[in-house]
Amino acid sequence: VAHGFRAVGTDDQLVRRGVRSAAGVRLTLRHTLGPDWVSAWLFLLPCLVVLIGLVAYPFFSAILLSFQAKVVGAPGTFVGVQNYVDLIVGRDLSAQFLQAVKVSILFTGVAQVCKFILGMSMALLLNEHFRGRTFVRALFFLPWAIPTLIVGLTWKWMYDGSQVGLLNMLVLQLGISHDLVQWLGNYNLALWAVIVAVVWASTPFWAMMFLAGLQGIPHELYEAAEIDGADVFQRFGSITLPSLMPVIIITAMLSTIWTANSINFIYALTQGGPAGATMTFPMLAYEIGIQSQRLGMGAAISLFLLPLFLVMVVVLTRRILAEQR
Amino acid sequence: VSVHLTRQQGYTVRRLVLFCGLAFFGVWTVLPLYWIVVTALKPQLLIYREPQLIPSQVTLDHFGFVLGQTPFLNYVKNSFTVTFVTTLLSMFIGTLAAYALVRLNFSGRKAMARAVFVTYLVPASLLFIPMFQVVYTLGLVNSLAGLMVTYLTFTVPFATWTMLAYFRNVPAELEDAALVDGCSRLQALIRVMVPIALPALVVVALFAFTLSWNEFLYALVLIGSDSQKTLTLGLIGLVRGDTFPWGPMMAASLLGALPPTLVYIVSQRWVVTGLAAGSVKG
Repeated sequence: VAHGFRAVGTDDQLVRRGVRSAAGVRLTLRHTLGPDWVSAWLFLLPCLVVLIGLVAYPFFSAILLSFQAKVVGAPGTFVGVQNYVDLIVGRDLSAQFLQAVKVSILFTGVAQVCKFILGMSMALLLNEHFRGRTFVRALFFLPWAIPTLIVGLTWKWMYDGSQVGLLNMLVLQLGISHDLVQWLGNYNLALWAVIVAVVWASTPFWAMMFLAGLQGIPHELYEAAEIDGADVFQRFGSITLPSLMPVIIITAMLSTIWTANSINFIYALTQGGPAGATMTFPMLAYEIGIQSQRLGMGAAISLFLLPLFLVMVVVLTRRILAEQR
Repeated sequence: VSVHLTRQQGYTVRRLVLFCGLAFFGVWTVLPLYWIVVTALKPQLLIYREPQLIPSQVTLDHFGFVLGQTPFLNYVKNSFTVTFVTTLLSMFIGTLAAYALVRLNFSGRKAMARAVFVTYLVPASLLFIPMFQVVYTLGLVNSLAGLMVTYLTFTVPFATWTMLAYFRNVPAELEDAALVDGCSRLQALIRVMVPIALPALVVVALFAFTLSWNEFLYALVLIGSDSQKTLTLGLIGLVRGDTFPWGPMMAASLLGALPPTLVYIVSQRWVVTGLAAGSVKG
């Protein structure tokens, strides 16, 4: 049985058909590459083509591109770190770039804190028992299913600066203000307005993750704490939060990567304006790299956050791979 | 200061907080959705002249305009084509790869699994500029095929990762029996593993569908002509200069949001478990 099992199950057959004479080579190959290496790499081939051809190759050519002065349709010239230097101290772009750094950090940071607070509240509420919970849960998570570009457009319409914009309508009717508010046209308001739309769209993701985590906490823990006289807040701080910590870290990092790199909301709502108030990294990279066709400079912009991104990827990979074991 | 409540009072407070919270999130969630529907149904005059929370008159004119006077249906067709092909391809590629990563014994297995996960995290904003060159070299700029190829960059890692997590929990004995009976690895995968992993395949299909349907950045960069536009790109195209025709745009948005919403409603149970695996974009 043992013999038959190995022979049919592994690559022995395949290899035997191919290189019958080179038994010695076969043995060494098998030894170094593993018993199933032929079929394994055959099975992985399409996936490898995608990973190497469509992700790794563009990624490394982005790095190369960022060291070139290149416009669409012309060969690039190597300029070393000039693009990066220009971004930080150059006369042409540095003001715009440093603004984008500031905006991106503020945008991502504030959005993540809001998503955490709202997502956690939503999950805690949905973890309670009440009638119609399944329906309410489906409803609250619905924004997650709406394409983000459509979410962006919808909020742009709600933020309309005239009296027919929904929010201005509410502001006037509730008597909060007598003047129309230029939500997206006001330099000091625009970024906050964009953040609200982003938070609306991605709070459900956080709530779903937290809810799944909450449902995995054993009920006995809470009962024991209650007997010990712990109040609601103490129970949250000593049981809920620590138990959810792995979920919180994974959710926060995934969401940070996606939010920091998302262009859809900004593109639909403000395209970076007014006066760069909402200009984030990806939006600036698009504007410089695609619209102005300065590919090298655009690549340099999108790569600037790479070190930060890599740190998060390493931490996330470790955590998730550890959990899967 | 600690307040001591009786059991009954505690319960009442808890319920009160619960319903206030639910009411808040109810309004928060529904208001924008309501506004899409209401705008899509309001006659043009009511949208711009009179601020009205509840429309005094409804019309289907905007839907008629979007379906009849704009290439909207062609955008939808393009989106469906790209989404369908991408979804099928990523299910196929992901299943094969995940099977190898879970069941086959070869060196580099761990590194490969890691590479799949890292690829899954690489955001489009890092890749879109060189991706334009890659697609240009392939001669696929301004074509749906170019979009299908680029969409694989996010659907394949996701599909592989999800299938991998599922295959891991399938006992090896089930497949061993088939192998002893003389099945090849490929036959064992198709006859034994795929039927068992059907729920995971459904999750992969649903998310690949949603991700591709919602994609915007690559379409924006790669597509120029109106005939090749997908839904998201076509929606932006409805804007004329600085004028946003909100009635038609909200009608189109409503129609464009329907497929992923229906998918979400049908598959709700799986969505939550799929997300819990930490494997889906938010």
